[in-house]
Amino acid sequence: MTSGRVQQTWRITAAFIALVLPVWGQRDKSYDFSVVSQVRVDLRDLGYPPVDVIPADESQIRSLTVGPDGRLYGATSGQRSHLFLLAPQHGYVEPLGTLADSKVIHHSLVVDQAGEVYVGTALAVDNNSQGYEHYAGGHLLKYVPAKDEARNGIRIDKPCPVVDLGIPSKGQGIYALAIDRSRSAIYGLTYPDGEFFSYQIQTSLVKIHGRVAKNITPGEKFENEKAIGRALAVDQEGNVFTSGEDGKFYRFDVKTQQLERLDIGVPAVQGREVYNRIDAWTSDAEGKLYGGTSDGYLFRLNPAKLEVVNLGKPLNQYRIRGLVLAHNGKLYGIGGDDDEMARLFSYAPASGLYELLGMIDVNRRPYYSWQGYVFDAMVVGLDGTIYMGQAERKSKLYLYYPQ
Amino acid sequence: MHKFVGVLALTGVILCCVAWPAGPPAAITQVEYRDFPGLSMMDGNWAALLAASDGKVYTGLAYHGGDGHLVYYDSKTERMHDVGNLTALSGESLLKRGPQSKIHAKFGEGKDGRIYFGTHGGYWWDYARYGTKEGYPGAHWMAYDPKTDRVEDFGLGCPNEGINTGAYDPVWQRIYGLTHPRGHLVYYDVAKRMTADKGRINNFDSICRTLGIDDKGQVYGSFGEGQIFKYDPQTDQLTELPLRVPIRPKGISLGRDYDKSETAWRVVVWDEETKIFYGVDESATILFSFDPNSTPNGEIRRLGQLCIPGFEERRDIPYATLSLTLAHDRKLYYAAAGREFDYSGSTGPATSHLISYDLKTGKTEDHGGMLLPDGRRVLGTNSATTGPDGTVYFVGAIEVRAEEGKPLEAAGKIGSVYYRLAMIIYRPRT
Repeated sequence: MTSGRVQQTWRITAAFIALVLPVWGQRDKSYDFSVVSQVRVDLRDLGYPPVDVIPADESQIRSLTVGPDGRLYGATSGQRSHLFLLAPQHGYVEPLGTLADSKVIHHSLVVDQAGEVYVGTALAVDNNSQGYEHYAGGHLLKYVPAKDEARNGIRIDKPCPVVDLGIPSKGQGIYALAIDRSRSAIYGLTYPDGEFFSYQIQTSLVKIHGRVAKNITPGEKFENEKAIGRALAVDQEGNVFTSGEDGKFYRFDVKTQQLERLDIGVPAVQGREVYNRIDAWTSDAEGKLYGGTSDGYLFRLNPAKLEVVNLGKPLNQYRIRGLVLAHNGKLYGIGGDDDEMARLFSYAPASGLYELLGMIDVNRRPYYSWQGYVFDAMVVGLDGTIYMGQAERKSKLYLYYPQ
Repeated sequence: MHKFVGVLALTGVILCCVAWPAGPPAAITQVEYRDFPGLSMMDGNWAALLAASDGKVYTGLAYHGGDGHLVYYDSKTERMHDVGNLTALSGESLLKRGPQSKIHAKFGEGKDGRIYFGTHGGYWWDYARYGTKEGYPGAHWMAYDPKTDRVEDFGLGCPNEGINTGAYDPVWQRIYGLTHPRGHLVYYDVAKRMTADKGRINNFDSICRTLGIDDKGQVYGSFGEGQIFKYDPQTDQLTELPLRVPIRPKGISLGRDYDKSETAWRVVVWDEETKIFYGVDESATILFSFDPNSTPNGEIRRLGQLCIPGFEERRDIPYATLSLTLAHDRKLYYAAAGREFDYSGSTGPATSHLISYDLKTGKTEDHGGMLLPDGRRVLGTNSATTGPDGTVYFVGAIEVRAEEGKPLEAAGKIGSVYYRLAMIIYRPRT
């Protein structure tokens, strides 16, 4: 054999080994546990790693909203609250600073027609009212986005520049907000007493219209919670809906300016009506409202006829904590209580079919991987991206791209 | 044609060699062993091994899909004792929500002589009941009292989740844990009989497998990309230290489980003499020291690598084991896997090597493949401890050879080789 042939043989051998070794060593694909199609879900850290990131213990996302210009805003809960922004054309999260005296911002973030952001703060929620004995009250804050979009240094330890619009109800935290952009009105619920209030943007007038729950939910002697809806919906007529005591729907009639308890009840397991509340709302182009309950049911409400259709329980879990109507015509929801593993589902109103989409598992190995177990906020962006807010000690913002 | 055959033959030879260290064949270390009578079906052991001050060596034997067992070896009488089935000890035998399959974390010895630990599950119904109310009920905090030979069950520590990682602190009398799958830091305060959840630390695949506790009761673990967190029981605060464990950048899996992180420390041991932790990282078995008292935030130093020589720079270096202990001769002893090892999830059989690092001289030594007196191989281990007399113990998988006419007592196979669990005993030369 000539030396040329020997060299050629070695080259072939080396190439063969180089090709074979990784294959020989590789695990088969059954070892790669992913429970959601990886094409469809991703995440964002809450800021600019490694320094300007909203830290653990301050990062639970319990409020998300999208402004008329498509910018996403989020607010966090924990030892401190932060406001953050994601401009879809950039795609990253930008911390905007801390919100003074706030530990919880629960479903209380709205943007008006001018793009100004309103935030409702609280001390705590769903904690059996602990700490509220000496609480001054949650504030309604306004953030006016800066015209100059240049980043303003590291924000996570600086206060967010907000205007304090006052305390809507003394001693009460703000539990939920909704906005009627066309009528420039913001509506809210308080915790722990379930007061319903309105705020007129033009006049800055706050008015409390009554309570959706007056009595403590029946239970053991330690029980100190009232069954207050965790979300508000505004229909096309400007009426506002939520749930309250005994699991009944409540409506604020915009014409009469009255808060009414309706005869219809939120779908629930029989016998559990008094514990049941609405966790999340969305609406379709025809004005029908869709809601998710704490018992984990999806329903449709015709707000004009006050007819409720129980669409069933998509998950073997409690709570539907996020609900949106995506651009493909399907509803997407996320369910699961604080001690469960959140799961995503879709519902196609046209066919009545559910699709169970599994856990929220972002697998970008070897670069990063992260599963989300508790979620408390969900919105859809103008481009169709669904944003989901994780509500754990170390939380991230998740992006889901429906097909 | 003969060229092709030649190439093929050469390739075959090389392929046969790649599973083995690239260096020259090392010496052999003969070790003693004790098997676990009546428990040959137990299929794994991770971290749960403690040589207590009275000479008893406690271990937790895992059984996926079934009931794990708490066992101890009395080094004075040389007898193995099965304390019991963990599901039964938890009072859950009739619950039908998933067994207590493991003790998956370190034990700790209290000042009262009791042995403290938390339990773990081992069956998730293919994720259908993963962390749910229908599945595994959750870990129990427990203590075994050698004086009464009884286990006290303190109750559920973390509903629907197991204790993946844990340690006991005798200063504050707390059992700490990191939960699976949600990665929360939790603890049980034995004196106050109170459990606490400090929230999520990390993702399920990158939960560090050892919590280090110093002599003041401060708790350390790693998270993120080699970062370190500290829990101070004095202030009840978690902080993230500006330190990094030396880790190799994570790559696409080569023989390693995809969901195994390569970003944390795998195991640390506390040195009472120098008040320093010594540990190895998961990815490349990098040995480091961590001095938590060095101002202002502690100091980490890379000391070397404890893998089998020849693997140092290789992409297929086996995932680090949990088998690190500091012995009385001031040497760290580490049982290094010869190939990616995780019991029946191993990529194939290979012989573990005993590696030591001398803290006095900084010298690393490969003592060679660990073989039983009859020549059978130690196929891998995942826990280590040092007894009061200086004996080093490991628990892991030993080779089982079928014998004609005798029932095969094995937990399963590693590649084509049957294995069972055993306590492996090494007596360092004094």
